[in-house]
Amino acid sequence: MPYAKPLPKINADNQPFWEGCRRRELRFQQCSACGHVRWPPSDRCPRCHSAQTDWLIAKGTGRVYTFAVYHIAYHPGFASDLPYTAAVVALREGPHLLTNIVDCPPEEVACDMPVEVVWEDVDDTVTLPKFRPLSCGQGPR
Amino acid sequence: MLESGLCNYVLISYGHNAFSSDSMQQLLMDLSGDDAVFGHFGATGGYALAARRAMHEFGTGPETWKQIAVGQRKWANLNPAAMMHEKPMTEADYDKARWVVEPLRLPDNCLITDGGRAVIVTTLERARDLKQPPAVIMGMGQHHPSTPIAQSDWMAGPTGAKKAGETALAMAGITLDDVDACEIYDCFTYTVEITLQDYGFFEAGGGRDWLQGGTIEPGGRMPVNTSGGQLSEAYFMGLTPIAEGAMQIMGRCGKRQLGPETRTRSPEIIMVSDNGGILESHSCILLRRW
Repeated sequence: MPYAKPLPKINADNQPFWEGCRRRELRFQQCSACGHVRWPPSDRCPRCHSAQTDWLIAKGTGRVYTFAVYHIAYHPGFASDLPYTAAVVALREGPHLLTNIVDCPPEEVACDMPVEVVWEDVDDTVTLPKFRPLSCGQGPR
Repeated sequence: MLESGLCNYVLISYGHNAFSSDSMQQLLMDLSGDDAVFGHFGATGGYALAARRAMHEFGTGPETWKQIAVGQRKWANLNPAAMMHEKPMTEADYDKARWVVEPLRLPDNCLITDGGRAVIVTTLERARDLKQPPAVIMGMGQHHPSTPIAQSDWMAGPTGAKKAGETALAMAGITLDDVDACEIYDCFTYTVEITLQDYGFFEAGGGRDWLQGGTIEPGGRMPVNTSGGQLSEAYFMGLTPIAEGAMQIMGRCGKRQLGPETRTRSPEIIMVSDNGGILESHSCILLRRW
């Protein structure tokens, strides 16, 4: 069955990120001028406007900064997932990433909960980074 | 423009067939970008993220938002033009309302409305002999954090309301104690809470107690969103609060008129807010009786 949900719109700015996902590398940018770390990918640093950027690879762990539990499907592709959890994950390295929390009932998701990345191959070219609870005792520092 | 003589009148208007078409939905969907890949859409989802973080940081939640939703509905029931006129809502009705994007229930969300609203701005000199007494702009302020909500590390405040409110109060030379009522941009109940909090009406998390006893309702000590607001009257973006603020100052609000009619203070000064994106921009304006 074809993938029924929206796919990312890949462009020159975000291509390195999505290529990384395909290789199971969670990439983010760090400004070479001021050191600000950021996601989503952008041409210029939102803090100092420098175009000099390094790509780094995150360890893939972080904490739930906040989350929202969807009880209605704004797109038919998500109808069978209801209720599902969209979340902002604060990566251990700093950037905030919009994603989903999976392998966890929505009522058990909590702010500051430690999570780790899991990869979902949705078609022949696109892999999505999602997050699941990190098992006890392995939380990021 | 008015003071330099470039123009004599400025019409600020908003109109939309948002209820009878899907154009508002489409607008919000188009703004979602790659968030849609993860099923994150529109405005309710973004404000749900902010509201959840606020629950975590300062202990707000449905017990606070319920008082805003129910209080504003009481005002709507004094306003024959309100979409929710003659549709009373109790706290129990709120508690059993369905989730949209948790932690936000249906009555935490603003309406989608067909219609429009407008205000005309002119000079005080020209306003002197107009048929209606004018509402005078005594202060204004803006502050725009301009950060997409997923990148924000201040979702639980302070939002742009803090600096915008301070700027407006300083320009007017008044304090919050001088404010008789508020018309707060209320896309969601949480927006009302965080705006009043950032203006300084209560400490972080103090909204629940501050709202107790019908503070913002007819008969209350600080009426808020006296038309029913966007939650219970009509959604016309920033024009819902500003038009109501001006109408209240002018004394043209019928059964919901602030003053003896609603057992509230007669309004000398009303504080009005507008807000854009997901808490990305904020404007505050103070109106006074002439």
